[in-house]
Formats: sequence, structure tokens, C-alpha cells
Amino acid sequence: MASLMQTDATIKKNYLTALKEAIAEEMDRNQHMICMGEDIGLLGGAFGVTDGLQEKFGTERVIDMPISEACIVGAACGMALNGKTVMVEMQFIDFISCGFDQIVNMTATYHYRTAGEVAVPMVIRGPAGAYGGGALYHSQMNEAWFCNSPGLKVVCPSTPRDAKGLMIAALRDPNPVIFYEIKELYRKREIEEELESGDEAIVPLGKASISRAGEDVTLVSYGQTVWQCLEAAENLSKEGYSAEVIDIRTLVPLDQETIINSLKRTNRLVVVNEAPMTCGFAGEIMARISQEAFEYLDAPPMRVTRMDTPVPWVKPLELHVLPSADKITEAALRVCKF
Amino acid sequence: MATTTERQPSEKSRPRDLLSPQDYQEMLAQLYLARYFDVRLIKEKKRGRLRGTLYSSHNQEAVIVGSLFGLRSDDWISPIHRDMPAFFLKDARAGWRNKERIGMSIDEVCGQVWGRATSPGRARDNWSHIGSTRAKIIHSTSMLAGTIPAAAGVVYADRLNGGNSVVLTFNGEGSTAQGVFHEAINFAAVHKLPVITIIENNHWAYGTPTELEYSLPDFARRADGYGIPGLIADGQDVLDVYDKVMTAVEHARAGHGPSIVECKTFRAYGHGDHDDDRAAKYRPAKEVDEGRRRDPIAIMKANMVKAGLMTKADAKKYAAENKGASEVHDTDFPEDVVAYLTEGVTSALKAPVPSAEEGAMWVFREDA
Ligand SMILES: Cc1ncc(C[n+]2csc(CCOP(=O)(O)OP(=O)(O)O)c2C)c(N)n1
Ligand SMILES: [Mg+2]
Repeated sequence: MASLMQTDATIKKNYLTALKEAIAEEMDRNQHMICMGEDIGLLGGAFGVTDGLQEKFGTERVIDMPISEACIVGAACGMALNGKTVMVEMQFIDFISCGFDQIVNMTATYHYRTAGEVAVPMVIRGPAGAYGGGALYHSQMNEAWFCNSPGLKVVCPSTPRDAKGLMIAALRDPNPVIFYEIKELYRKREIEEELESGDEAIVPLGKASISRAGEDVTLVSYGQTVWQCLEAAENLSKEGYSAEVIDIRTLVPLDQETIINSLKRTNRLVVVNEAPMTCGFAGEIMARISQEAFEYLDAPPMRVTRMDTPVPWVKPLELHVLPSADKITEAALRVCKF
Repeated sequence: MATTTERQPSEKSRPRDLLSPQDYQEMLAQLYLARYFDVRLIKEKKRGRLRGTLYSSHNQEAVIVGSLFGLRSDDWISPIHRDMPAFFLKDARAGWRNKERIGMSIDEVCGQVWGRATSPGRARDNWSHIGSTRAKIIHSTSMLAGTIPAAAGVVYADRLNGGNSVVLTFNGEGSTAQGVFHEAINFAAVHKLPVITIIENNHWAYGTPTELEYSLPDFARRADGYGIPGLIADGQDVLDVYDKVMTAVEHARAGHGPSIVECKTFRAYGHGDHDDDRAAKYRPAKEVDEGRRRDPIAIMKANMVKAGLMTKADAKKYAAENKGASEVHDTDFPEDVVAYLTEGVTSALKAPVPSAEEGAMWVFREDA
């Protein structure tokens, strides 16, 4: 019995291992796939997502790049012109701003401006999110910049299975994908789960999932705050409200249908994102719901986001500006009691 | 470490020594083609038949022709705003009228200039922002120096695929101050990628002179910082450009990595046609007169006369040199040059404009 439990436990894998497996499996399957990033080869990546990859696939396919985010993205684009699929690691997603022009002007528009001649299969991925004391430049969720740049898909998983499945889907997608990995979830024991391999593991882009079913209010989120929504749902149940939690998983393209279907039953909406409020993705979801599903709403929707501030370093300050399960519970109660 | 002076081709054996008399004729013809294309567009624009800004390549044709002339059709290029003739001149040595050649046709290029559906990008972005994976031309954005990383990536992938193509990127001297210029050349140098950076040093970046752009007497010396060769060419002399670029190409093809080739030239008019009047104010007239004195067509003719490939009488025949766009006429160009471009213009004017709905198409590839 004891040994059986042992095996059981080893089958469950964390979020980081899920990503690692997805990348390694795709490198194996697709001889035209290349990985580029800073310290991804010899070191195996700052967090270890690419650990062992260079050993297995060689220095030509797993490239340790100079600290040049713009060049990394641009060169990946050029490789795509010559038939390659490229995984680009941003050491922290915060540094993506240094490659911004190459992403939004060069890469995102390539298919559009060539009238479909050139597709750029590229996944730009990196550790994202706050709550770890990373301070201003190692805590960002800057996904809104890219959602506002047509031609990019934007993904943010909250579980190991989704991390693996969405990564495989992203690496097989002919379009550039910006992939937000929640670094606070990388090694979180509580969320470990069993993983499939290859086709079986795929989670298609553009499909939301219902993380918890409920009847009274819909909490919509992605990434780290999905877990806060689940905690809030627990709190709410103690107050007598049943909350449904939707994890959109993909921001672009957005699965609006799953949200609207939920609202048809709950008629109440709270949207949560970790990024700042103004022009954040929560606002986009609220705008779409207001336009497409106003008749199902019994209360004004609310959003819970970071304050419109950078992410400060020291813990009390950091937590002060960020969303939390308590803040979500409070917002949901207001919506429920409206 | 290679220095700027060490890498200059020796006087004894120069790449041009392997060119045939026909090659010289062809180079001259391409100079006429480039000049006539520019002049024709300036005239069409004045007639109000064109949209967008025209960045004249007048007086800079030798850089384009001399750089492209020795390339193979599997080599890549990435031209910028001032290089419109490069799009149809790449691979033109295979015969510009040869419909089978891989390069971009004059119909495609004119289709682009006139915003027609026959443009390779169906006229979705303007002027020089086209390309072709078939013709091996990287599609640029407006962001100066922005395609050098892609150029490095293209040849990296080509090497992995078992090829040995090189890539030429064209850049104004002003765009060399961009961060991505450094990032990409550094990467190419580290991996010895066959990336040749052509600097079209026309001494002005829009309204800013070189002394406010960088602090080197010769830009080519920047190459020393990357441990790669930096060559200097007389950008008015197509043969000198050919020599220097081919030296860099051979160096790259042999696996020795990138080079910078600085071609010294001069911008004939304003930055763009919107700026011609203002340019007269910020650029001293004396400097402009001096800068334009050395016409690449005249220099090539003189070289051909010297080499016994042309008589003095023949050299006078098509007198397009040393004339501004308003002073030069169709009769100053070879008939086949005028005919070739006229066909392109005619085909563009007849071609359909893309349908309005296309504006919302192709944001994503759908066959996921
Ligand atoms: C990143 C970027 N900044 C500014 C501009 C606007 N711009 C277009 S051309 C130009 C001058 C370029 O000068 P140079 O590189 O010397 O080329 P030239 O026009 O002289 O051939 C400027 C400032 C631009 N296209 N891209
Ligand atoms: Mg210039």
C-alpha cells in the first residue's frame, strides 16, 4: 500500500515539469523546431524550464543567445521565413518590453502584411506574475500590450495540465503566441497533477474551462488569480452563494461563449486580472459582456485588478496593490447583494 | 583580429577581374534601369498618380547595383526605403526580361507602388515594405534597422537546412544608431553568420548630418568592435562597390562570418519628395553641388571607355548622367530600359485595386 502511494505521488507533476515536457516532446517531434533564449542551454534556463534540452538536441537547435531580446525575436522571425518553428524564452516576461517592436511590428503583422504568404510559428514564453517579491521588473503581467496588437495569440495557463496542453497547441499553431507562465505556480505542490503526452495532452487555444461550477455569480479570470477565485468561491459558499469560476486560459482568441453561457444562469459577473486596471484584459471582458450579454446581467459587473501602480517590492506594499481572494470575495458579495 | 584596412581587397586581384564585357554592359544597363525607375516615379508622382512618399535613390544607384550584382538567386536581401530598384534588380543578372527568373518582376514592383492587387503583398503596406520568400527578399517594416535580426535568423536557418546562402541588409547611416543594429550584428558575429551589412552613407538622415549620428571618421570602423571586417567603398563607383561587397560575400560564404561595407554616397534630393523644399534650407547648396558631382552612370561609362569596352562616342549616346529628374528625358535612356519600365507602369495602371474587405483579412493564419 505504501509503495503504491509512492508511485501515485511520482506520477503527479508540477507546472514547470509540464512545460518542460511539452517543449521537449515538440522538439523531438518537430525537427524544424528551435529554442532561443538567454541562458537556456548550458544552464537550462533561469528557472529550469529548458533543463537538459541542449544536451539532448544540441547547441544549434537550443541557442544560448546574447542578452538581446529584440534580436532574439527578430532572428526567430527570420528563421520562420526559412521554415522553422521557434520557441523564444524571455528570462522574465518583464524583459519582453526590450523586444517590443520586433514582436508587435515585425512578427505580429507578418502574415497580415504579406497577405498570407508568411506565417510565423513562434511561441514567446516566460515567467510572469507577482506575489513573490520580484518588485517592479520581475513581477509584471503585461499581456494587455499584446492583446492590443492584432496578429498575436495570448495564452496564460493556471494548471499543469493546461500548461502542457496549451504549450503543445501553441508550438503547433502557425501564428505567433505570447505565453504567460505563472512562476509562482512553477513548483507549487498543491496543484500537481497527472499529465498526458503528445496529441492526448493538447488543450486547444481559444477554449475556456470551468474550474468550479456554480449558480449565483460567475468569477472570470486567468493565471494566478484563478486560484484566488477558487478560494473566494469557498468563502462565498460559507456566505450562502454558489460561485462559478471560469478560467479563460486563452485571452486571444477569447472564448466568449463559455462566459455568456455561464451568465445566462448566474446573471452576475466579477472579472479578475492581476495586471493594472486601466485598459487591462478584465475591462475588455466587461466591455464585451456589456455589449453582447447585457440582458443577462442582474447587477453591474465588477472587476478586481491590481491598482494602477507598478508592483512594489516589500510584501505589505505588494499585497496592498494586488488582487486577493478577500478582495474578490468582497466584490462578489457586492454583486450578489446588488 | 581583422581590422578595417586589412580586409580591403588587394589591388592585384579584384572580384571585378572575373567580370566579362557583357557583365559591364549589364551593370551599366542596371544603373540606367535604377535611375529611370526613380525619374519615372518622380514624374508620375508630380502628375498626381501615386500615393505615399517617394524616397529617391537618385545618385545612389551604384550601391544597389554593385551590391546585388554578384549574388546568387538563393541569397537573401533586405532593402530599405531608398532602395526601390533593388526589388526588381535582385537576380536581374539572369536577364531582366527573363520571365522564368526567380526575382521580383517589374509588374510586381509597379503593382506595389501603385497599390494594386498585383503587388506581392497585395498593397497592404506601402512602398518598400514588400518582400518575397520566393525571390528571397525580407519584408521590412518602417522600423529602421528592424530587419537585421531577421536577416541573421534567415541565414542561421539556412545553414541548419544545409544551405550556404548569404544575406545583404541595406541600411542608411542614420539607422545604425538603432539598438537593434548592434544586437543583430553582435549575434551574427558570435555565430559567424553570413550577414553583410551595407551602409548607404549618404551623409544625411532626414534632417540630421552624420556628425550628429555617430562619432567616427569612417563608419566602417564600427566593425572593429564586433571583431569583423569593415570595408569602405566609393558608393559612386559600381565596380568598387562590387569589389568590396563580393569580398565580404566570399568571406561570409567561406564560413568566416559577417562584414560591414560602408558605401560613401550622397543623397541627391530631400529625404522624401515631401521634403525637397525644406532640404534646400538645411543642406548647404555647396555641399549638395559637390555631393552630386560624381554621377555613378558617368563614372561607369568612364571606366568602360578606359577598359576599351565603350567608345567615347557611344558614351555620349544616352546622356542621363548629371541631370536632375526635371531635366532628363526618356531619350536620355536606352530604349529597352524605357520599354521595360513602361510595361511595368502600364500593367500596374491596368491592375485591380484590392477589395475593401481585404483590409480585415489575414490577421491570423487559420489552418491551425
Ligand atoms: C525606428 C525609426 N525611427 C524613425 C523613423 C523615421 N525615419 C524614416 S527614414 C529616416 C532617416 C533615415 O536616415 P538614414 O538611415 O541615413 O537613411 P536615408 O534616408 O538617408 O537613406 C527617419 C528618421 C523610422 N522610419 N524608424
Ligand atoms: Mg542617410
